[in-house]
Amino acid sequence: MKIRNLIFLLIILLAIFTMLIAVAELPPYGSPDNPVHNMVTERYINKALEETGVNNIVTAIVLDYRAYDTLFETIVLFTAAIAVYVTLKKAKGSEGGE
Amino acid sequence: MRILLEKLLINYPFFFAIILFVMGAFTVLTRSNLFKKLIGINIMEGGIFLFFVAAGNIKGGAVPILVDNPGVTYINPLTSALMLTGIVVSVSVTAFALALIVRIYKIYGTTDARRIAEMRKEVKERCQQS
Repeated sequence: MKIRNLIFLLIILLAIFTMLIAVAELPPYGSPDNPVHNMVTERYINKALEETGVNNIVTAIVLDYRAYDTLFETIVLFTAAIAVYVTLKKAKGSEGGE
Repeated sequence: MRILLEKLLINYPFFFAIILFVMGAFTVLTRSNLFKKLIGINIMEGGIFLFFVAAGNIKGGAVPILVDNPGVTYINPLTSALMLTGIVVSVSVTAFALALIVRIYKIYGTTDARRIAEMRKEVKERCQQS
């Protein structure tokens, strides 16, 4: 078991090294000229109040610009709830048979 | 090496995100208790969320709630909105995994992945003998 953990540690160290190199190549944190802040964000910030009438821009994105995303997100949540219900219910019913 | 360290010092939130992610991955790989594996997955998700939210931040920027002051720079609202979706998915996955673990515990009487594998192996051998 100890040898297995050592191998995992080696793999993890390799992963850390790779990700560290990737992070060092990222644009500097907190700078306003980062490629993340492109025209999409500008549009959201400048036009959100006019197009949706909401002050909170995150709410405007979640509930107006990307409303379908939120709709299907609730479907994901609903499916998970049903899956949990079915799993636990079957466990109750088949307990005598095991 | 020194340039790497300097860049890491600038990008410190991403560095912490990596540490969180790797902690979670190590937990998933080395612990055999299924609950601990699930907690590891949740820690990994926390690392990803931190990475995204940090990527959308601007130093000295304001929270993306509109005010009448025209000189304010707002931080990126898109990453925060995307992470809301991510949190919902993570909650769904956690709930379903917990239900599965409860079911496994009712059948096998343990939540230890290695012991479950041993039990399955024993049953398989007994089936082949008879």
